[in-house]
Amino acid sequence: MFGGSLLAGTGALAVRRMLSAGLVRDRRRARSRVAILHEDSYAGPLHRALMEGLRLFDLDLRGKSVLLKPNLVEHIPGSEVNTNPRLVGAAATAFLALGAKTVLVGEGPGHQRDTVLVLAEGGLEAELRERRIRFVDLNRDEVRKVPLQTSFTGLDCLWLPRTVLESDFIVSMPKMKTHHWAGVTLSMKNLFGAVPGVAYGWPKNLLHCKGIDRSILDINAAVPAHFVIADGIVGMEGNGPLHGAPRNLGRIVLADDPVAADFVCTRLMGLNPLRVKHLAQAAEFLGNGSPERILHLGEGFPTDTQPFEVLPEFAHLRP
Amino acid sequence: MGEIWRRILPGAGGWGHCGTQFGTDATSLALLALYASSSDSKVTPAELAPLMARQLPNGLWPAVGDRTAGGNLWATAIAVNTLMVLGAAPETVAASLVALVQSRPLEASWLVRLKFRFSDRQVRFDPTKYGWPWVPDTVSWVMPTSMVLIALERAKNRGLIHGGEFWYRLNLGAEMLLDRACPDGGWNAGNAVVYGVPLRPHLDATALALAALRFHYHLHTVNSSLTWMLNRLDCPSAYSLAWVILAAAAYKKVRSDVSPALDIARDRLAILVGDPRSVEDTSTIALAALALAPETAINPFEVEM
Repeated sequence: MFGGSLLAGTGALAVRRMLSAGLVRDRRRARSRVAILHEDSYAGPLHRALMEGLRLFDLDLRGKSVLLKPNLVEHIPGSEVNTNPRLVGAAATAFLALGAKTVLVGEGPGHQRDTVLVLAEGGLEAELRERRIRFVDLNRDEVRKVPLQTSFTGLDCLWLPRTVLESDFIVSMPKMKTHHWAGVTLSMKNLFGAVPGVAYGWPKNLLHCKGIDRSILDINAAVPAHFVIADGIVGMEGNGPLHGAPRNLGRIVLADDPVAADFVCTRLMGLNPLRVKHLAQAAEFLGNGSPERILHLGEGFPTDTQPFEVLPEFAHLRP
Repeated sequence: MGEIWRRILPGAGGWGHCGTQFGTDATSLALLALYASSSDSKVTPAELAPLMARQLPNGLWPAVGDRTAGGNLWATAIAVNTLMVLGAAPETVAASLVALVQSRPLEASWLVRLKFRFSDRQVRFDPTKYGWPWVPDTVSWVMPTSMVLIALERAKNRGLIHGGEFWYRLNLGAEMLLDRACPDGGWNAGNAVVYGVPLRPHLDATALALAALRFHYHLHTVNSSLTWMLNRLDCPSAYSLAWVILAAAAYKKVRSDVSPALDIARDRLAILVGDPRSVEDTSTIALAALALAPETAINPFEVEM
């Protein structure tokens, strides 16, 4: 337990040293904005809830191409593994209503090579067809070589999908889950799906070999999400991201800063974000983790959070 | 076939997955589909040229784009297998076969094996049994290992490769696949049991592994995996179903339930790709064309006995 906290702390210290040496740039804005929406089920009026939530941010989306990046791993009947398709569909409709020029949904599952199968079995294919929203398989999109802004992995570049690089407004749509390698999987870890399988394989093993936490930092520094819609209506606890237990949290988290979003989501999960290694490091330069720099729009932080179950390796994340 | 010709990339030629960027996988599969359909079973040197032009000096192929992307073991195996099926000159694949045999995953290092043995133990597998990774400097996985084994078996039957190291890797690769099988049959990317929980098999990985393990048809793991696969012909994806058909076809002579299953699967696949323009991925179109080709056509993923 102590080891995990120590690792997160020393990681953050290392980033502070990199900042003072000019090796990474401080990208944190003065304040980040987060809105926690209360929504008990996917059967409810998600579109209306999202519209009301998004209006709080006064986003200028006119003429912009929007890419929604849900978290699709694989379909396990009866299990809430993926970002719910109704939430993705509602978000697509909401962004179009707010003036976006185009809305695409894109994902590159890391484990299952047959993306069409994941879409069909999980219900997203039908949802998007009904709403006439196009899906892009980021695993098989054209790729471009992108020099990295940071060097946590030691890699100097990543091949990334053209659709991601050409989108004006990237929205990370994670499922709020615990993760058996990274502690939690939220909006930042979700961008693993933007790394193309066609270049790196299934799974994207190079990122695992270079260190999941380090890879999360490099990817998010290279292609930061502009906005987050986190699916916490039903999350996953325990042995996530695939075989954990469902956890009814009844929340959707919106944010204009992925780091702030992930800090708030982790706190909603009853866990300590400063003990999640990649979050502790990201809060030093990529975005805001400190409560004083996070402005809550809409409903405040709930007072009755019950910590998510975690594997013994991540017991240090609990209070 | 008209749809495959329509998707050929302008200029340098070859095929891409969804857009206009060359893809080794898509180009190899498209060439195989054209070959399977042509009456004289010939692909011209001009048609092979885009694929040959991407071969790197070390014998490997990149997965996409020009030669700057670096070598990819899956792409190399599928390109080499394609060139052998199409009858390209043996010297064009010799260096690549050697590169495949000599390419080792991280577990080949005793230090990494030690790590998996004593500290990184959440995924159940035997690190002494290794195959091939997707990209160099990573660990081995089911799909690239399967494709490399298919290519090496073909090379063996054509007398293109010999030597103790070749036999060692061939046997070790098969052992690795058997070790990574899911407890109730089938394969996924390569993690059968994680944190004590069995993970689900995937159709495409199962099909590829079965194609590679055709020589081992008598083993329980292979038989139960074939049964698992044949019970999932209601698959809604043309990509997986095409792999299922190509893999299962090789088992017709050893299992009586395969032929009727193939008839059902082909009917279903024909419906799924009824409008090929609606299928974005060129590899899927080419795989479907191969899977729906007359049974007299060559199956490029059948290991020759």
